[in-house]
Amino acid sequence: MPRAAGLLWLLLPGLAALEPLSVGLAIGVASALTGYLTHPSFYCSYVECCPSAGKRLNATALKVQLNTKLFGQHLAKDVVLKAVMGFSSNPSPKKPLTLSLHGWAGTGKNFLSQILAEHVHPAGLRSKFVHLFLATLHFPHDNQVEVYKEQLQNWIRGNVSACPHSVFIFDEMDKMHPGLIDAIKPFLDYYEQVDGVSYRKAIFIFLSNAGGDLINKAALDFWTSGKRREEIQLKDLEPMLSVGVFNNKNSGLWHSSLIDRNLIDYFVPFLPLEHKHVKMCIRAEMIARGYAVDEEIVQAVADEMTFFPKEEKIYSDKGCKTVQAKLDIHEDIAMRFTKAKG
Amino acid sequence: MAAALSASPASALTQDGGGGSGVAGRKRRRSGGAGGEAGRAMKLRRGSLRAALGLALLPLLRPASAVEPISLGLAIAGAAASALTGFISYPRLYCYFRECCLQRHDQRAAAALQESLDRKLFGQHLVNKVVVKAVKGFLNNTNAKKPLALSLHGWTGTGKNFVSKIVAESIYKRGLQSKYVHQFVATLHFPHAHSINLYKDQLQSWIRGNVSICPRSLFIFDEMDKMHAGLIDSIKPFLDYYELLDGVSYRQAIFIFLSNAGAEKITEVALDFWRNGRSREDIQLTDIQNALSVSVFNNKNSGFWHSTLIDRNLIDYFVPFLPMEYKHVKMCVRVEIESRGYAVDEDILTRIADEMTYFPREERIYSDKGCKTVDAKLDYYYDF
Repeated sequence: MPRAAGLLWLLLPGLAALEPLSVGLAIGVASALTGYLTHPSFYCSYVECCPSAGKRLNATALKVQLNTKLFGQHLAKDVVLKAVMGFSSNPSPKKPLTLSLHGWAGTGKNFLSQILAEHVHPAGLRSKFVHLFLATLHFPHDNQVEVYKEQLQNWIRGNVSACPHSVFIFDEMDKMHPGLIDAIKPFLDYYEQVDGVSYRKAIFIFLSNAGGDLINKAALDFWTSGKRREEIQLKDLEPMLSVGVFNNKNSGLWHSSLIDRNLIDYFVPFLPLEHKHVKMCIRAEMIARGYAVDEEIVQAVADEMTFFPKEEKIYSDKGCKTVQAKLDIHEDIAMRFTKAKG
Repeated sequence: MAAALSASPASALTQDGGGGSGVAGRKRRRSGGAGGEAGRAMKLRRGSLRAALGLALLPLLRPASAVEPISLGLAIAGAAASALTGFISYPRLYCYFRECCLQRHDQRAAAALQESLDRKLFGQHLVNKVVVKAVKGFLNNTNAKKPLALSLHGWTGTGKNFVSKIVAESIYKRGLQSKYVHQFVATLHFPHAHSINLYKDQLQSWIRGNVSICPRSLFIFDEMDKMHAGLIDSIKPFLDYYELLDGVSYRQAIFIFLSNAGAEKITEVALDFWRNGRSREDIQLTDIQNALSVSVFNNKNSGFWHSTLIDRNLIDYFVPFLPMEYKHVKMCVRVEIESRGYAVDEDILTRIADEMTYFPREERIYSDKGCKTVDAKLDYYYDF
């Protein structure tokens, strides 16, 4: 009893400092503030968050972006728009969205995948939920395929469990070791859950040049038979593409079970770019740099590009690549023209 | 209590009975107890006045008493020191003394480059035009879509290393000695064909590490024709149109590839022009560029052989170096003599130029070694 009294006597000055009302108020305000700050709607304007399940993609914005930025790919635009909108408005998709983009160099495959990534995650390729893999950079050595397989599986599993709406882009599929892609086949399939993680909301995009020559041939056939480019339909290309890519030893999908099991949702072909599309690219680049658009310069730069096939010379060899570099050479003329225009 | 009260002499007067005597006694004892009644009252009033005054002034004195001169002095000194540090480490000031990565475009770089090339490079009108425009356009472009990739091709001794040195010096003051300029010589840094996987990994790590430190890095690859076909494929990802690769952006870097491949083709074109009586300055870039691109691609020794660099058109500019004629060799000799501080003797100049060997065998117009071995011959003629 005296000990307790002595203890109380010691604590009394400290207790005397704790004014109950003000302390109670302080604790209440602090907890309310914490609760408010950690609420996603506030928190997510400062730090990047995984998009919630109910978030829908803006179809009109995507359509406008595709129409203004992507030139000459009416097939790719249609397919991708429908695929992505259908996938995002489906409350419970049965399998992850798998797109395979094929085409000649410089036709816009990386560009399209970038636009898509930006619509799902506003930060685009810089987002921590968008992952870009390059076969030549991330999986360079053939003798280490087993290590790569395991690492890739762990990476995908870890990231999809953190954010179900992750986007995975695999570039240079034609350089990837055949069989490495088999390692991610289980994630693309119609499973509800794999080891407790559901992959049904993820998006996988495969980019490659394989099948590019087949697409070019088909486009050329259309041109020689006098039909318009916009008349090419997906059904004209898709079956031939799927088999061609499957049998091509360099495609990275060679004899892979991805096509076997029909795990690729959409084969998206990219047609080679014609003269007028190259000019559109040049104009867009000039506007982006702030020059006034001078048709003479556009024509001069377009003339410097090389075209194939050798006789007809309709399709650009490099698509829209190296346009920037060629523009630099004509830059002083462009600047003078811009200054003259005022 | 009564006994205590009666002890003090003043108590007899203020005694007010037994009840209040204790309090009165205590009061009297506090006021010091001396003097008469009136004096005592005055003292009381003065005391209370002083006490009241002291109490009123006390709040004013307390903070002043807390201002300790030493600690205040230290605090002010500390604040001044941090302000000075901030001022000194501000990049603009700091960069005058130490080398910094080039963050913002310096307009002088392109002008310096143009002037250096005009003054020091002889006989390469194509190089002048292309390199200056390419570098200027690239440095000016804040929104470059891919790193600048120049491929310099030409005969030996025509100035490829020289031009890369001038480009490095115009961007970084210390030129090739700068820590942001990296030069790789195929025969020196990648000698063994069997260690190619190791070289690939090392090269990728080196480039990745350095570009993350300084986005505006310059990489020069010499002796590309001696490089293992396929080693360059390992840096292809860095030259492509990607925005970010593993969190690092390569869009501001500059890659220069030097090689002798395609030299025969260039000489062919130049010789054609000469044989048709057209002047050297008439040779246009387009005449050479297309022929060159194909020949370099197919040449098994070019280091680009079937490589995806040309496949993907990741090289922005193919820059051809024309072989040097007799008059250019003379210019080289003259510059060398002047740089050593001797008087220019036209006779010796002509003799040195005549000593160099020329090709083709009949026409004998182009120097075999370009401007190389000129300074060695100089030593022979000027004796000291």
